[in-house]
Amino acid sequence: MYKVILIDDEPLARQLLRSLLEPYQQVEVVAECGDGFEGFKAIQELNPDLIFLDIQMPRLNGFEMLELLDNPPSVIFTTAFDEYALKAFESHAIDYLLKPIIKSRFDKAMQKWLQQAEAKEQPHVSALLENNVYEGYQHRIVVKDNSMIRIIPAQDIFYIEANDDYIKIFTKDGSYLKKSTLSHVEQTLDPQQFVRVHRSYLVPVTQLKSIEPYEKESHIALLHCGAKVTVSKSGMAKLKTLLGW
Amino acid sequence: MLIVLAKHVFVLYSVLHFDWNLALKDGICSCVILSLSSWGIILLIRAYPTSAAITVYGLVVALVISGITVGAEFESLKWLIGIDNEAYKSWLKETLVVRFLFIWIFNSWVATISALRKNISTLDSRFQQQTDASILLKEAELFKLRQQLQPHFLYNSLNSINALINIAPEKAQEMIGKLSDFLRSSVKRESEETLPIAEELVYIQSYLAIESVRFGDRLQVHFEKEYTDDAVIPPFLLQPILENAIKFGLYGRTGAVVITMYIVLDGPLLTITVTNPYDPDTQPPRGTGFGLEGVKRRLYLLYARTDLLETSNDNENFTTTLKIPQHHVQGNTDR
Repeated sequence: MYKVILIDDEPLARQLLRSLLEPYQQVEVVAECGDGFEGFKAIQELNPDLIFLDIQMPRLNGFEMLELLDNPPSVIFTTAFDEYALKAFESHAIDYLLKPIIKSRFDKAMQKWLQQAEAKEQPHVSALLENNVYEGYQHRIVVKDNSMIRIIPAQDIFYIEANDDYIKIFTKDGSYLKKSTLSHVEQTLDPQQFVRVHRSYLVPVTQLKSIEPYEKESHIALLHCGAKVTVSKSGMAKLKTLLGW
Repeated sequence: MLIVLAKHVFVLYSVLHFDWNLALKDGICSCVILSLSSWGIILLIRAYPTSAAITVYGLVVALVISGITVGAEFESLKWLIGIDNEAYKSWLKETLVVRFLFIWIFNSWVATISALRKNISTLDSRFQQQTDASILLKEAELFKLRQQLQPHFLYNSLNSINALINIAPEKAQEMIGKLSDFLRSSVKRESEETLPIAEELVYIQSYLAIESVRFGDRLQVHFEKEYTDDAVIPPFLLQPILENAIKFGLYGRTGAVVITMYIVLDGPLLTITVTNPYDPDTQPPRGTGFGLEGVKRRLYLLYARTDLLETSNDNENFTTTLKIPQHHVQGNTDR
């Protein structure tokens, strides 16, 4: 028996999925969720084999929710119209259903998934999340803080530090670890506001207090929060063009 | 050309005391050749227009053509009159410079005028083309912005109907009816530049009727209106604002949500304020779909102003203010 979770903010859309799943004896809908928060909780508790995931949802959107999961299950995205995301799905061979969801198309997606599930070879969504699948820049970062989900507005970020497979986000309320890469976060945040001053540091320009020469060809930036970060030669060049020095 | 001919003949006859026959022959011959050369210049300039240094171009063309003209005139006059008239032949030689100068000035005048005219007409048509192009571009952008309004809403509504077909067929029918009403009025309004606000509100009501099917009884919209019947609004501006308010308001909440819409005619501006509850901790995803940026862009294209749409928020409410200039109302107060 495969466990399935439906995540969509519209009750009617979930009901439709439920009725389309009725003929499939081998799957069971174990939960229905109205937003990414609920979805995240349900996935962690119930460990489903497959989720149907809407992208535009309250509180936490579909992508943000996936980012928080260490081992995301198989996903079939359901979306009304999101050209940008569709391209990303296609390039990673991840299935999606366009709303209105038609039975024949739904069955095709299910057949495909069932085949893959039996062969235990499924495209992994984490590859999709490596790219910026968002349309435009994000104004927040979502992190897991113990069992809590914390939404960090971009303006609250002091700086972000690379830390092996993780990034460490420093804010006035402390620092948070997130399993991600600095390049990925750099892509999702507005480049007019965040500058990669060093291989290991992403800094909001508004946080910069002063910059002093350090060793040969590198500088040290003093931030308003009191921290000091290294600025590489290329990071200095980026700052110069952005701030027009 | 006739005046030139008459003068030429008059000068030869009465000032230089040539006989009638000779003066007439010389005059007609010169004038025919001059006409030919002017005609040649006009053709030349039309065929090979230049944008740089019209005057210089005219003078150079005239200089070359005048040289040829004088040569032709000299040869033909020599052949026509001078064969057995040595006195005339030598006089012809003496006057060559004068003749050349006269022809050159005349031709320069013709060349410059025709070059200028050519230039003006080129500029005119280019200007016309550019105006046409920019109008088309603006129309296209406005059209595109209007088109962007529909898809999300339309596809989601169809998906809801899809679900209702099985569980509540009569509700599905009802929603198809509402959606049709909405689409019908969309199509009808496509060509309108502005509409009476009352008409726009009927459209908004049909939109809200669909949204309330999708979100159940959770959505309530209150209207407060203070405007005259002649207040107008461009179509399709209000809907994305409400869509945004619904998104902000319903997201992250489970209970009923009240959205208020206050419409007031404030001097030359129709001011529409939409307020929805809002939780600053759970901002909805930004940059997805159409949203307020499109409204802003349309307002700019329509009124060339960027201050017509404003948003503000406190800890509980998010407020969107839309201002629509009322041209006819302004006209009334001027009187």
